[in-house]
Amino acid sequence: MRRPAFGETGIYWMLVMPALLMLIGFYLFPLVRVLWVSVMEPTPGLGNYALLFTNSSIHRVLLTTLRICLLTTAITLLLGYVVAYVMAQASERTQRWMMLGILLPLWISVLVRAFAWVTLLRRQGIINNSLMGMGVIDDPLPLIWNELGITIGMVHYMLPFAVLPLLTGMRGIDRRCLAAARGLGASRMQSFMRVFLPLSLPGVVGASILVFIFSLGFLVTPAILGGGRTLMIAEYISVQILDVVQWGVGTMLATTLIVFIFALLGLLARVVDMRRLFGAT
Amino acid sequence: MDRIQSFAEDQAEILADEYRAGRVSRRQMLAGLGALGLAAVAPGAARAQARPEVVVVNFGGEAVPAFREAFQQPFVAGGGRMVIDGSGPSNGKIKTMVQARNVTWDIADSGVAGTGELGPLGLLEEIDYSIVDRAKVDPAFTYKFGVANYMFSTVMAWDTRKVTGKPTLADFFDIQKFPGRRMLRRSNQGMLELALLADGVPADQLYPLDMERAFKKLATIKQHLLFWNSGAESQSLLRDGEVVMGLLWNTRANLLKRDGGGRMDYTYNQGLLQPGLWVVPKGNPAGKEAFRAIASMQAPEGQVKLLASMGNGPANPQAASLVPAELKAVNPSDPANVAVQAKISAEWYEKNGAAALQRFLDFISA
Repeated sequence: MRRPAFGETGIYWMLVMPALLMLIGFYLFPLVRVLWVSVMEPTPGLGNYALLFTNSSIHRVLLTTLRICLLTTAITLLLGYVVAYVMAQASERTQRWMMLGILLPLWISVLVRAFAWVTLLRRQGIINNSLMGMGVIDDPLPLIWNELGITIGMVHYMLPFAVLPLLTGMRGIDRRCLAAARGLGASRMQSFMRVFLPLSLPGVVGASILVFIFSLGFLVTPAILGGGRTLMIAEYISVQILDVVQWGVGTMLATTLIVFIFALLGLLARVVDMRRLFGAT
Repeated sequence: MDRIQSFAEDQAEILADEYRAGRVSRRQMLAGLGALGLAAVAPGAARAQARPEVVVVNFGGEAVPAFREAFQQPFVAGGGRMVIDGSGPSNGKIKTMVQARNVTWDIADSGVAGTGELGPLGLLEEIDYSIVDRAKVDPAFTYKFGVANYMFSTVMAWDTRKVTGKPTLADFFDIQKFPGRRMLRRSNQGMLELALLADGVPADQLYPLDMERAFKKLATIKQHLLFWNSGAESQSLLRDGEVVMGLLWNTRANLLKRDGGGRMDYTYNQGLLQPGLWVVPKGNPAGKEAFRAIASMQAPEGQVKLLASMGNGPANPQAASLVPAELKAVNPSDPANVAVQAKISAEWYEKNGAAALQRFLDFISA
């Protein structure tokens, strides 16, 4: 039998070629230009990158971003794990309803959700008013205009991105392992801690990195729920590009962020099967 | 809103809200939007085909169809050609266009932060004052790279349930006297100036701004501060009782007072008068026709209509005599209101604007 002229993989390459060319033209090329601007403006060299080490306001923005994103990731994972765990045990019917509850907020604009939280959390908002009406508190609780408000808003946004990969992971766990553990005399707690939890860890790592990476790009929620007092890296970049037109600094930060994200994704790829995480199999 | 809103962006939003609430008619809205852009058509414009198309860019929304209906059509009837673009002329977008040598805008709605950042980089055309009439603008607001289109102010507003009498800017910084949170814009423009005025710097000696002193003054009430990004946010923070006093644009302060049933008040005393500026991107396609369009917008009649519908002050001093008596009090460029305000210095912003914004953002997020 004759082999095809390009070899078997050659044909596959030709099939993906149009998509690949588009990626290079519309994605890779602009990215390279961003990198280019970051070393060419205002003067050629690595001056912009030196700011990463010398500029105290960039330090502060990076630290704030890191702190909020780590906190958001931790809380989201904890809550998401519980939801995914319950979902994995629930009946088909309940699962469908829960899934709807998780997916519905995804279709609501991030701006609308931020303002909805303002309505709930502000001094004369629904929560404070009802608590004061019941006599539980005398003065309104400071639920908003601080990092608490930001974290609430961000966790709410991120939950689906944690639940979905966690659920995929949990569904893949062979229930017979748990049954075996119980059969060998483990308590419910022991079988969870020593069998289920370790088996679900790849999903946890994957979800953490996904949520963390998404959080890095946040700007609307922190700006609104933080009372304007919190500045995260995405907004800092936007100010550099759109307002003060210091493109060198803006593109340097964008490049740094991309490199950091690719590094995290690289780490992710070592720990979990990316195709499974994104639902390809 | 994904970034700090500009005054011009907020204007389109106010007008749309007012129209929906039925407080201005469609005709008034169109007139107002037109005055924001193009108030009058240059007379005697008969050379139809010889005139290039002028692209006017603003911050969009309802302003775009309204511009078309009210001004593109008469302009076309008068022999001119015009397109209205609502895609929002941020500094970054203008820079992109000019650097790519693909300029599609002729006239952009901007401000001192626009001329300040873009002018020195060679990204704007110089205003041609042989076509645009200097006599129709306050000389303080005619610049090399931009010319005043309308006036607005940064003013102090307060909740009269919590703040009694006629407070001054000094009271804004006195938490003991009037307890409660204060509100600033999430950008330096106007905020540093009002901090210095509160600290006793005379209005005519504001510039060059003593930044050390301004930030020191702001630091005294930092823990009590909230910051607004968009005009609508500034209005709701005061209305919802989240803050008791705030520094905000006169247009929003005016809406608060009008809709607040006596609960809200504001003053032009110790305010900062600022211009909305027309700028022309370098290498604009219509060439000198852009300046003819700007000249046509200097007609006082349209500017007064804009004041009536939205509270923007006419940039043309000759408009003062046309302003109806009941609107004089709300007009930021009314002679009586100008007398009690400081005027912004575009020259200072050209040299220090970016650094001041950077430092302001540092200050609030520290």
